[in-house]
Amino acid sequence: MDLQARKLFDRSLTSISIMAVVLMSLALLVLLAPIFSRGLGAFFFRGTSEHRRLALEQFNRGNAQAVASEIRIVGAARRPVYEMLSAFEDELDGMDSTRRQGYRAQLKEIKSLLRELLGPLPGEMEAVMLRQQYGQTRWDRARVKLKAILYSEEWDYSDTRSMGKKVLRSRQKIFAGTRLDPMFPYMENNLSRMLRPRFTFYWRFLTDLSLDSHFFGGIWPEILGTIYLTLGAMLLAIPFGIIAAIYLSEFAAGGRLVSLLRVCISTLAGVPSIVFGLFGLAFFINTLHLSSSKSVLAGSATLALLILPTIIRASEEALKAVPHTYKEAALSLGASPLRMVLTVLLPAALPGILTGIIISMGRAAGETAPIIFTAAVSVGQPLKLWETISQPTPALPWNIYNLATEHQAVDEIRHVQFGMVLTLVLLVLLLNLAAILIRARISKKMRG
Amino acid sequence: MKILSAILTLAFLAGGLGFAADSSKIVADGSTTVGPIAKAFAEFYMKQNPGVNITVSESGSGNGAKSLVNKSCDVATMSRLLKLNEYEAAVHSEILPVVHVVALDGIAMIVHPSNPVAKLSMAQVKDIYLGKIRNWSQLGGPNAPIVIISRDTNSGTYETFEGKVMKGEKIAKNCEYVGSNGAIRQRVQSTTSALGYVGIGFLDSTVKALPIDNVIPSAETVKNGSYPIARPLYMVTNDYPKMGSHLYRYINLYLSKKGQTMIEEIGFIPVTSY
Repeated sequence: MDLQARKLFDRSLTSISIMAVVLMSLALLVLLAPIFSRGLGAFFFRGTSEHRRLALEQFNRGNAQAVASEIRIVGAARRPVYEMLSAFEDELDGMDSTRRQGYRAQLKEIKSLLRELLGPLPGEMEAVMLRQQYGQTRWDRARVKLKAILYSEEWDYSDTRSMGKKVLRSRQKIFAGTRLDPMFPYMENNLSRMLRPRFTFYWRFLTDLSLDSHFFGGIWPEILGTIYLTLGAMLLAIPFGIIAAIYLSEFAAGGRLVSLLRVCISTLAGVPSIVFGLFGLAFFINTLHLSSSKSVLAGSATLALLILPTIIRASEEALKAVPHTYKEAALSLGASPLRMVLTVLLPAALPGILTGIIISMGRAAGETAPIIFTAAVSVGQPLKLWETISQPTPALPWNIYNLATEHQAVDEIRHVQFGMVLTLVLLVLLLNLAAILIRARISKKMRG
Repeated sequence: MKILSAILTLAFLAGGLGFAADSSKIVADGSTTVGPIAKAFAEFYMKQNPGVNITVSESGSGNGAKSLVNKSCDVATMSRLLKLNEYEAAVHSEILPVVHVVALDGIAMIVHPSNPVAKLSMAQVKDIYLGKIRNWSQLGGPNAPIVIISRDTNSGTYETFEGKVMKGEKIAKNCEYVGSNGAIRQRVQSTTSALGYVGIGFLDSTVKALPIDNVIPSAETVKNGSYPIARPLYMVTNDYPKMGSHLYRYINLYLSKKGQTMIEEIGFIPVTSY
C-alpha cells in the first residue's frame, strides 16, 4: 500500500471513530436530557397554597398559622367565583326548561373542574379520597385545569369523510349574558391570587410516603424496596458467584463436563429476564415456599440468579488474569491451595471481581420482569429489615411501569412517574459510583 | 466461616421476627379493575391502623385466582367469578373461596373522541370483534379500518366481555391484546380509529364512551340493569375472615359509608340496598 492511501485510510478511520463518539454522546443526551429536565419537575415546581395545606394536614409540616392565614387570603380571592356560581344557579331556576337543559350539562362539567382545580366547593360533603379533598398542588397542572374551565373541548364531525377535528369553544361565550359570564375573566386574571403559586423545592419527595396511590406525597417505599432488592440480590449472588468462579478457574479439571458447565453459564446469561421472573415464582414461592406470598427475599433470590452468570464470568476472568508466579510462590512457601486462594489469589483479583459486581448491581436495580411475580406490588408500606423475609414491596422499576400503564389517572401524575425515573437513574449511578470508589481504593492499596 | 454463621443467625432471627409480625400483613393480588378500590381501601385502612401493611398488586383476575389457590395472597381481587376449574383447584389445595361483592361495574366501549360514531348496538360490537365489520364507514363513520383492542385472556374484564358480548365466539385474529385497563385507554387515546373496552371507573375526558343499545354506561344504568355489559367486582378470601381481624375489617370496608363514598369517588358503583 502506498503512503498516500495509507494516510487516507488512517484519516477516515479516525473521523469515523470521532463520529461514533459524537453520535453516542448525542444519543445519551437525547436520552438523559428529558429524564433530567422532566424528572426534576417532581422536585422543583411552583407549589400552590393547596400544596402547603396538604403538607400541613397530611404530613404535619409547615407553619400552621401561616397556612391558616394563607387559606383565609385565597378563600377571599375564591369567594367571588363561588358567589357567581350560586347566583347563576338561582338564575337557572328561573329559566325556561329548554334553555336550562342546555346549561345543565355545562354547569356540571364546570363544577367538577372547579373541584379539581380549587378543592371541594363550599358547603359540600367532606370527601374521603385525598384527591377530592385538595385542589391542584402544582401550578403547571392548575394552568391545565384553568384552560379546561375557560374552553370546552368539542369535536367537529361535520366532515363525514374523516375523523372529527378538535374545536375549543369559549365557555364565556356559551354563558354570555348570564350571571356566570364574569366568572371566566375573573378566573383567568386572578388564578394566581386563588392559588398563590410559590417556588417549591420538594426534596421530601424522596422520603415521603405516597398518598392516595401516588396522587400526592413521595416515593420512599419504592426507593427503599429497590435498595433492599438490589442489596439482597448482591448478598446472595456474590458469595456463590465468586466460589463458582474459583472452582472453575482453579480446581476444575478441564474436562468435557466443565466446558459444558461454562456453556450453561453463558446460556444462563442470555435467558430473558421474564423467564427468570416466572421461574422465581414457580420455584422460590410455589415450590420452596420461601415466603407465604411474594417477598423481597424471593425477589432478591430471583435477581441473584439473573446476575449470577455475569459475576461468575467476570470473576473467573479476573482470577485467570492473576500472574502464575503469585500462585507458585505461595504454594512453594507451603501454603495449602485454599490458603493460597484466600490470601493471594482473591486479593489480587479483587478489582476485576468488583467490576463484575458493579455491572450486575446496576442491572439488578433496574430489572422489572424478574420482580413482577416475585416481589413487586403497586401499593405498600416501607418495610423494616426483618419484614423483607416475608413481605412484598413497591420498587422503582415496577412502579414506573405501573404508573405509566395501569394507573387510573396516568395523565394527572406524570411528574411522579418522571421523578421515579430520575431517582432510579441516579440511584443506579450512585451505587455504581460507590462501587467504583471502593474499587479504586482497593487497587491503590494493592499497588502498595 | 464466622461471617457465614453470623449471616445465618441473622437470617433466622429475622425470619422469626418476620413470622411473628405476619398477622398484621395483608396481601391482595389480582384484577387491574378492582385495583383502584383495593388500593384506596388499603391506604385508608393503613392510615387508621398504623403498623398494618397491606400490599396490593394488579396483575389480572386470573393471577389473583392462581395466587389464592397457591396460598400466596390473602385477598384475590377479581372482576369475574372463579371458574369451575379454579374452584376445583382451590378445593384440592384445601382452600374455600368466599366471594365478597364489593362494587358494581359496567364495561364501557371506548373510542377516540374524534370518532364521529355516536352509538353502537350489542350486535354491532360483536360483529366488530368477530371481524365481520372492519371499517368505521360501515357504521356511518369515516373510511378508516377499525383497530380492535382487547384485554389479555388473564383479565376478568376480558372474560366478562367474552361472555356477555361475544357469547363464547372467538375474537378476530387481528385483535390487539393489552395488559390493563389503563393500557387500553392509552391505546385508544393515541389511535383515532381504535375501539376498546374498560371498566367504568377508568373513563375520563380523553376517550369517548359509546352508548350501547342506546344506553349510556353510568351508575344509574348499571345499577338498574339497563346497561347490558355490567358485572359485579369481587374480593375473594380463603374462608370467611376471622371476625375482628384486620382482614375482616379491610374486606368489609365496602359496607361502611366511607368505603362506599370512596368507591363512588373512584368512579365505580357501590353495592347498596337503597
